[in-house]
Amino acid sequence: MRRLRFLALLAAIQWGAAAASAQDSIKIGADLPMSGPNAEYGELFGAAANLAVEHANADKMLSKKLSIQFEDSQATPQQGVVAMNKLVNVEKVPFVLSAFTGVSKAIAPVGDRAKVVSVNGGGIGPDLAELGEYFWNVIPLVNLEIRVMAPYLVQERGFKKIALIYVDDPAGEAIQKELKENVPKAGGQMVAELQVPRNAQQFTSIAAKVREAGPDLVFIASFGAQQAQIVKQLRDNGVSQQLASYSAFSSPTVTQLPEAKGALFPTQSVDWRAAGMSERVAKDWKAKTGKEPNAYVANYYNAVMVFVHLAQALEKSGQPLTGENLLKQRKANGSFDLVGGKMEFLPNGSVSMPIQINEIDGGAGKMVKGGTMAK
Amino acid sequence: MWAYIINLAVLISINAILAVTLNFILGYAGIFSIAHALFFGVGAYTATFFAMKFGAGFLSATAAGMALAALISLALALPALRVRGEYFVAASLGLQMLAVTVFTEWKSVTGGIGGLTNIPPARLFGFAVTQPEHFLLLSLACLGLIILVIRALVRSSFGRSLKAIRDDETAAWAYGKNVAVIKTTAVVVSSALAAVAGSLYAFYLSFINVESFVLDTSIQVMAMVIIGGTATLLGPVIGSVLILLLPAGLSYLPYLPVTEIGSIQQIIYGGAMVLLMIYRPGGLWGFQDTRSSRKGGAA
Amino acid sequence: MLLLQLLINGLQLGAIYALTAVGFSLIFGATKIFHVAHGAAFTIAAYLFWWSNAVLGLNWLLAAALAVVAAVAFGLFMERCVYRLIQRHEGAFFTVFIAAFGVQIIVQNLIGTVFGRGFVSVTTPLSHSVQVLPGLFVAPVAALAIVVAVIGFSALTNYLSRTHTGMAMRALSENPDLIRVFGLDPGRVAQYAFAIGSAIVVPGAIFTAMTAGLNPAVGAHVMLISLAATIVGGIGSLRGAAYGGLLLGLAENLALWRLDPQWSEAVTFVVLFLFIIFRPAGFFGRPHAAK
Repeated sequence: MRRLRFLALLAAIQWGAAAASAQDSIKIGADLPMSGPNAEYGELFGAAANLAVEHANADKMLSKKLSIQFEDSQATPQQGVVAMNKLVNVEKVPFVLSAFTGVSKAIAPVGDRAKVVSVNGGGIGPDLAELGEYFWNVIPLVNLEIRVMAPYLVQERGFKKIALIYVDDPAGEAIQKELKENVPKAGGQMVAELQVPRNAQQFTSIAAKVREAGPDLVFIASFGAQQAQIVKQLRDNGVSQQLASYSAFSSPTVTQLPEAKGALFPTQSVDWRAAGMSERVAKDWKAKTGKEPNAYVANYYNAVMVFVHLAQALEKSGQPLTGENLLKQRKANGSFDLVGGKMEFLPNGSVSMPIQINEIDGGAGKMVKGGTMAK
Repeated sequence: MWAYIINLAVLISINAILAVTLNFILGYAGIFSIAHALFFGVGAYTATFFAMKFGAGFLSATAAGMALAALISLALALPALRVRGEYFVAASLGLQMLAVTVFTEWKSVTGGIGGLTNIPPARLFGFAVTQPEHFLLLSLACLGLIILVIRALVRSSFGRSLKAIRDDETAAWAYGKNVAVIKTTAVVVSSALAAVAGSLYAFYLSFINVESFVLDTSIQVMAMVIIGGTATLLGPVIGSVLILLLPAGLSYLPYLPVTEIGSIQQIIYGGAMVLLMIYRPGGLWGFQDTRSSRKGGAA
Repeated sequence: MLLLQLLINGLQLGAIYALTAVGFSLIFGATKIFHVAHGAAFTIAAYLFWWSNAVLGLNWLLAAALAVVAAVAFGLFMERCVYRLIQRHEGAFFTVFIAAFGVQIIVQNLIGTVFGRGFVSVTTPLSHSVQVLPGLFVAPVAALAIVVAVIGFSALTNYLSRTHTGMAMRALSENPDLIRVFGLDPGRVAQYAFAIGSAIVVPGAIFTAMTAGLNPAVGAHVMLISLAATIVGGIGSLRGAAYGGLLLGLAENLALWRLDPQWSEAVTFVVLFLFIIFRPAGFFGRPHAAK
């Protein structure tokens, strides 16, 4: 029932936003999956972005009311492009929130041509760093996570033999490549690398293969409902070893799964108790959803706030809010004060952030190793 | 707004090519394939491959895609000759699922789920087609040409043989028609023409990945044909306009709760499919045109 | 040992597939309707079981009963309010197909809206496997699935060969005209077929909720497998559909013995394709079904 209240609340926010747009307002776009198997993510990302809008409006950070125009990408490239075209050409937004590697790669050329900024806060494939000047990432890409995670697992925790289950998409493959490189470097060994299709739902026999390999630790590189299915079925089928993953495990579906308890995963370092912005977001998020905020909440909140900061600067100097100016301003700005501390963009439009390691404890996860920068 | 409409129009014309070519085997020959997205994909990947590796222009890249699609379609024609109706649905389903696995796993050629980016713009007679307006003209020209080809085929003696087989295969066979050759030709023609859509799609988006060539795409194309009206020339075109405009139009509905927009759109989309099938089972274009095309066929 | 493990896993999955496929095959045999919304019945039953058992905390028997009621109601609704209306018209095979697909989309999205789009599962000790031999793990639910599949299937065949309606259903699949000789109303028989065919997905749905877990898109895969199993087994043969489901479950798991996991779905459809080309009548299908 909490869920219903949450939805009602979101509806109310949207009503408010829609009412505001009737007058003069500043609009940004969101090209997120709102239906289909990955809609869970769109829901989470959208709610976090909305919280940022609410805060920006409450604090009157911009001269006009800010609102988000949501479009459904269904997490597929074609729908993503249709939605992006609508945002760019009809709604004429200068700034679009994006998610999912396939969608991001498909919409990046559209944004590049129209000089509209797209910002990714969910996809972690390293190829997302190479999509042109107008494609930014506010999430550290997966290679950074693995470079912190691999030495931690092998050297500090002593898990020498690692079995990997990875989904056959760019993110999964990137993780496989990074682990293969960094685990031996840290003195460990990959004992199994099992690739699974994206739509697979049965992992009983994968569990058998994992058991046969006899690892100290099983690394799961999937996302969405599938990663929860993998965890449950491994635990059900005699795999009792330590589990680990990348930041996808910060999804509430996994953190609240009893079978996932004790699993280790990296996220960008976010201290939700830090006074000011982080604390406020954590408090309001909890009040709204009844859940602890996770890294995705920080990312999409931050993505909107990056826009707000840039727009503030542009308004001050009297320049119009175009994608071109936003890009120029970002290069001029240097760093941003956001949830989780200062954030700085690398020249390629992605960010480098300290990575922390968490353990699932039934809540949103507890930190077991503080923020470290990837080498 | 203009650019948005052009974008939709390009996607509609590409999908209309798929619908029209599927209708050629589904409507006129009674071959119910749900593997059409496979040939769409083969066209797209082949054209991309030749454009990226050998700098092929639009015409030669498309021709390569058509040739390969025609070859692969023989694998589909094989069961089409042996079994009918629901068996064939299952056979094409099997092929479609296999194709998705191959598209996903053959990463050196298809890029897997990550797909292929930076596909160069289509080159036609030495000019690069980069303006969306020009691309729209190109895809409309392809669509028009394909409709003409199919119209000619349907009205020829070949088309009459096809319809005879659809209506009563045994009778057609007894009548001395070479059923095997006719059916195979129909499948090959339909698949090769579907590859044109793939080539256009790849050059237009300049990004393709396996997610565009999955079972859902096949089903969607079939829905276009059936909603528009099978065995009519324009029905499939109308069906594709409708199917693509529906979600686009629904996205303008105001005051939907933000996180439920997608689901509500999908529910309306599904509901429209059901209601249309109940109340307009002959398709939107179906009733008027069937009669006139029959007359045309008989003349 | 790995092979034996894969074999057992295959049997467990195959039992679930078999039950679902039998329901699909029964409906198809008796009504000639290609019920691709069968997967939706599965999804509804599974989610209702999960909701009443894991969320409301209802007794599992009560939850299962609710799931049966929901699945049957859905099946009857489809027959009454969708298929029957479409079949007023001629040449309805593909019209039915598209409509059923539309329903599948509606159900998947409604489930997502009502119950959430994430992963859910029913937590039960039954799904925790125990080591029976060194390296061989079997969950109680595996044995349960196989037993239930056998019981369900024998009960069904018994019903079909003993009762009046049951025989009518079989007659309908063999020769639709024969039914009038029986003096039965084909519409009524079709309703029975939909009710029974939908009810029989419930055990599979419950086992899936316990073992693999659920998401709103779970029905699509079930539909594909049922369809494939029906063809492999031979259209119109319930026994064939059951073996077909079992075979596909085994193939999917045994494939892992030598192949990488990403190929295991492909194996299923290679089996399907080969059957269609070389043995279109399936295991037990009557040859006249093919050309």
